[in-house]
Amino acid sequence: MIRGGLTAAGLLAPASAVVIVGLVLPLVLLFRYSLNRFEPGQFMVEALTAENYLKFVADPYYLAVLRTTLLMAVGVTLASLVLAFPVATLLARAKGGLKTGLLLAVVLPLFVGNAVRAAGWMVAFGQRGVVGTLMEAVQLPPVALMYTPFAVFVGILAVNLPFVVLTLSSVLEGIEGSASEAALSLGATPFAAWRLVTLPLSLPGVLAAGVLSFILTMNAYATPVLLGGPRFRMMAPMVADEVLQQSNWPFGAAVSFVLMAVTLALTAAVGVLAGRR
Amino acid sequence: MTTPITRRTAFGRVAGVAGLGLAAPALGRRAFAAPTGQIVVGTWGGDYQNLQQAHVADALMKPMGVQVVFDTGNDTVRKTKLMAERRLPRGSLDLAALTASGSYEMWKNGALEELDEGKVPNLRHVLPELKTKYSAPHIYTGRVVLHNPKLVRTPPTSYADLWAPENAGKVGVIDIQYQTTIESAALVNGGSLNDYEPGKAKLLELKKAGVKIYPTNEAMAQALKTEEVGLCIMWRARGAQWRAAGIPVEVVFPKEGVVLYVSELAVPKNARNKEAAYAYLNALLDPRPQAAFARSFGYTPTVANAAVDPDVAPQVEFAPEMRERFMVQDQEYLAKNDAQLQEWWNKVFKA
Repeated sequence: MIRGGLTAAGLLAPASAVVIVGLVLPLVLLFRYSLNRFEPGQFMVEALTAENYLKFVADPYYLAVLRTTLLMAVGVTLASLVLAFPVATLLARAKGGLKTGLLLAVVLPLFVGNAVRAAGWMVAFGQRGVVGTLMEAVQLPPVALMYTPFAVFVGILAVNLPFVVLTLSSVLEGIEGSASEAALSLGATPFAAWRLVTLPLSLPGVLAAGVLSFILTMNAYATPVLLGGPRFRMMAPMVADEVLQQSNWPFGAAVSFVLMAVTLALTAAVGVLAGRR
Repeated sequence: MTTPITRRTAFGRVAGVAGLGLAAPALGRRAFAAPTGQIVVGTWGGDYQNLQQAHVADALMKPMGVQVVFDTGNDTVRKTKLMAERRLPRGSLDLAALTASGSYEMWKNGALEELDEGKVPNLRHVLPELKTKYSAPHIYTGRVVLHNPKLVRTPPTSYADLWAPENAGKVGVIDIQYQTTIESAALVNGGSLNDYEPGKAKLLELKKAGVKIYPTNEAMAQALKTEEVGLCIMWRARGAQWRAAGIPVEVVFPKEGVVLYVSELAVPKNARNKEAAYAYLNALLDPRPQAAFARSFGYTPTVANAAVDPDVAPQVEFAPEMRERFMVQDQEYLAKNDAQLQEWWNKVFKA
């Protein structure tokens, strides 16, 4: 028994050490920084103060940034689930060469980095961009797409879709086709069969895919910076801005802890709610 | 063939060894003082680094036996690094490229070595208005107004013309240039280089008139090219670069005065290889790389003895009467107010 315990501890040790050194210790340090004070021209001054957190919750400007980030995360997650479900179903049912082809089509965009994809959208959305030129060609009035929340929405949706499709399809593959066939044979419409049988059975997958998309959006950086422009603000770019542009490490650290706490709390809440049902 | 050792030769040899012994500390000192080994230069990337590589590192430092390694990044990151390493006996940078504000801030925080002509002989050629105790001013330029004559029919003569009713909707500003934009607005509205506050109200007027905000200098260049906007505040050197790239803009020196932008390099107190760092600064101020930076980059030499090629001179040189009226930023004011200015810009102006 003792020997077995030791073996388990030995096996766990390397991974635990990596997590402690690479994640827990930096987080502890970052939390300590968030309690320091920022003095203009002097960088970070040692202190034990909650003023950075208070500044965040007391200022409508920062709360608005958090609200924008949450709305974007919820919106993108719902849209990606709706768009991904049919594709995932097709992918789960496909066989042989078609399946390989579909899988490749879903995975290939992941080979291109987020920033590069955002650059592609910039070409599409710019004033003399692909979308603008097409609209001009069909005599439609020009619409400013670049540097709008819509551009960010489309950009992040495109980043998240492959993850959502792959997660959903792996769960849908495990659902026996016979269950939904039984419902159909008893007179259910295809939609009723999907709503009453397939959807409930795939709920764990929906949840996993939704959480993945939500976390990815909450922490999105390149897409909001490149497509949102100077006026559009989300949390991750704000952390980078405080630390890199303003050298305000204490406030940047506090903002990152707020972001982390909100993301964890909401993810946990969804998990608990889903567990109860 | 061996020479037999006589008393005289033996004595001579002993004296020689003794002499060597006496000379050795001096030689050793000189060997230590001569720049050698490797230095790490923290600098902006792109052309700025490439030109340093070609005209300073390869052309002047390599023959000296000094190997130059560049640590590329923006100056905020370098300032943070200098501050974080300030108390360590040895830092990671031998030289840091900073804006005039940045090097002042680092000097005030005790992170920089004091410099003089003994350490960097070429400092004696530096223009008096650019001199500091703690940095080598490397290149400089002045802030100007750029306009596209096709969109802005009456050529502007001052910053105030950005607010002219006929120019409403044609003006662009740059997000990362918040400080200089507020400053220019302040100069229009009764402010000064140690009071930017009047600029805030003036900028809100510009916002109401429909100003466009671009994230970076490059995005502004793009907007000028596609004629989204036709009027902006910019560095003269950038104006020259953009004209060379075919962007249809004219450069105007504003009536309110030309405020300088200076790019400097400084030696951290805890640099590992100070002798080579001083040699690098001296090489930066050499007339040859100074002329090369003027030609390829559009910035003006900081030393009086650099001769700019005649075809480049009209774009980079400042007339003596303009030089007399140069305005130099108040670094003490900026160190105390930059964070507050940026916060206002983000929360109020951009909101």
